[in-house]
Amino acid sequence: MTGIMDIVYAEYNYWIYVALMMIGFYAMIAKKNLVKKVIGANIFQTAIFLFYISLSDITGGTAPIIVHGDHAAEVIYTNPVPHVLILTAIVVAVSTTAVALALIIRIYDEYGSLDEDVILAARRNLQPEFSEYARQKEVDT
Amino acid sequence: MKILALFAVLLAGGMLLYAGQDLPAFGDQNSPAYQHPMTTRFIEESENETGVYNIVTALLANYRGYDTLGETTVIFTAGMAVILLLRRREL
Repeated sequence: MTGIMDIVYAEYNYWIYVALMMIGFYAMIAKKNLVKKVIGANIFQTAIFLFYISLSDITGGTAPIIVHGDHAAEVIYTNPVPHVLILTAIVVAVSTTAVALALIIRIYDEYGSLDEDVILAARRNLQPEFSEYARQKEVDT
Repeated sequence: MKILALFAVLLAGGMLLYAGQDLPAFGDQNSPAYQHPMTTRFIEESENETGVYNIVTALLANYRGYDTLGETTVIFTAGMAVILLLRRREL
């Protein structure tokens, strides 16, 4: 039993990131409101950022900025590479969130609702051929 | 439908937890990522090679300069998409 508890304690950052990621995943696939889906995607991305940044941490390490002076040889730096990767990933995450929210604003203008079911129902009413296509698909499956 | 979503989430989470057991411990100095020759080289040589004190900046702007250039393209594309979606249309 001590072996399992050691693993649980030594890697607690991974369990936290898995919990955060699953919260975001659930929000993405189960919520009907489009804004809540975007928030879920953001939580998911934040979990991945947390994973990478915690991966780069070294016990007793300092930020990867070169230290000069008498104690320069003793300094341990944390791993700088995941920081760089996540800096890029944060920019991409912000860009995708901006585009998604702009699309949601246009959808709200068009359909007057953010609810997925309402939007799909409105689409069926507006476009009978879409409804026909959906019925055909249901027949096939 | 929510039950199905919860099932998928629990399945994915269980797989991640199972895979996570083999990962190095939090703050482990002997982890493969930290012991990799490239990481050691960036920490030891980046100041001589680029003259930048901050290793993250040296990596982002010098070693991965083209990646950062592509990143600005991503921001530009996103900005253009937002403008095109939200501008007032002349009807």
